[in-house]
Amino acid sequence: MKGQKKKARAVLCLSVFVVMTGVALAYGQSTGFTDNIYPVGKLKPTDSVPKLKVADVAPDFILPAVEGGTISLSQYKGKKNVVISFVPAAWTPVCSDQWPGYNISKKLFDKHDAVLIGITVDNIPTLYSWTKQMCNPNEKLWFPVLSDFYPHGAVAFRYGVLRSDGVSERALFVINKKGIITYIDVHDINQRPLLEAIAKALEEANRQ
Amino acid sequence: MKKKSSSVVFFLFIVVAAFLFLCASVGTAVKSVFADSAGLSTIELPIPESEGEKEYLGLTGNGNFKIGQIKARVLIIEVFSFYCPHCQRTAAQINDLYQMIEKRADLKGKIKMIGIGAKNSRYEVDSYRERYLVPFPLFPDQSIEITEKLGVKGTPTFIGVKVDGKGNQEQFYFGEGGFQDNQKFLTEIIRLSGL
Repeated sequence: MKGQKKKARAVLCLSVFVVMTGVALAYGQSTGFTDNIYPVGKLKPTDSVPKLKVADVAPDFILPAVEGGTISLSQYKGKKNVVISFVPAAWTPVCSDQWPGYNISKKLFDKHDAVLIGITVDNIPTLYSWTKQMCNPNEKLWFPVLSDFYPHGAVAFRYGVLRSDGVSERALFVINKKGIITYIDVHDINQRPLLEAIAKALEEANRQ
Repeated sequence: MKKKSSSVVFFLFIVVAAFLFLCASVGTAVKSVFADSAGLSTIELPIPESEGEKEYLGLTGNGNFKIGQIKARVLIIEVFSFYCPHCQRTAAQINDLYQMIEKRADLKGKIKMIGIGAKNSRYEVDSYRERYLVPFPLFPDQSIEITEKLGVKGTPTFIGVKVDGKGNQEQFYFGEGGFQDNQKFLTEIIRLSGL
């Protein structure tokens, strides 16, 4: 009994040490985010059933934007190629280091006559605080960030990227000016897609 | 009772130890507790294709090179990421640091700089260079093998290494999270390296 108690105490202490040091040792993101990121650990790479495929008509949607007002997919039809970037959740490791890269890549999207739309299932106040961390003070992300919060994850669900725990996949959809899906990448949630994959997908979208 | 209180003390000791370890891990401008010269000596980088970069680093030919082969006395390594907002915000400041070194006759040629793009592809590193007009050589580290060997957990991280151009290197500085004042940083690098 005494030995068991001792063992339990040792396990408890070791657990505390491992958890606390694990926070520091997990390969990190920008140090600017270090204190505010919730460590999610390694997740199941994908956890949803695809509903759409390349050559399908992209389902239209209308969602509230962090900057105010709403944005619909159809407003870009006939005018711009659209890249939709679903990321799982605000204040999580990989997501926090994905859109800041897109924020310095406007030229790439302009070059391919494209707009970028960021979507998460978080609410507007959360997205407001989180996206402010991604750029210089008094600056904003150049692309709209939309909240798919209520009804919860409805757009992610229609696009087949809502995971069983209520967050979305880390997914990219490219939609050409005709409103047709030309590229889908439901990425491993633990990894960030490469920028060149978007560049290549946009080249393809312009060819179709 | 006495036994119980000693358990509590022991438990608290573990918590405090873990906390101190955590603080040390995310602290700024501290000497390394992670990487050592042995880790550095196993790092190989591709010789740049650009003649200007080859000349800056004192390298010739193709293939790979080791950090200690860079023709300098001190190398400053910035581990950055295309996706890191902190790196983006300080990119111009780090370019200024490079210019500051190049303009000083007593430092030009003796202190050199490179950047390692943690988890970044060649395309992403090139995009970062183009976006911020980075004047020193940048190398992608998509597999994060180099970043891990350097013991880097977050970006940006700055590492100071003494080199001799013959393949030998010794790390003398490790600072995570950047710095505010280039002049102070440079003075510290000169002091710690004994340059």
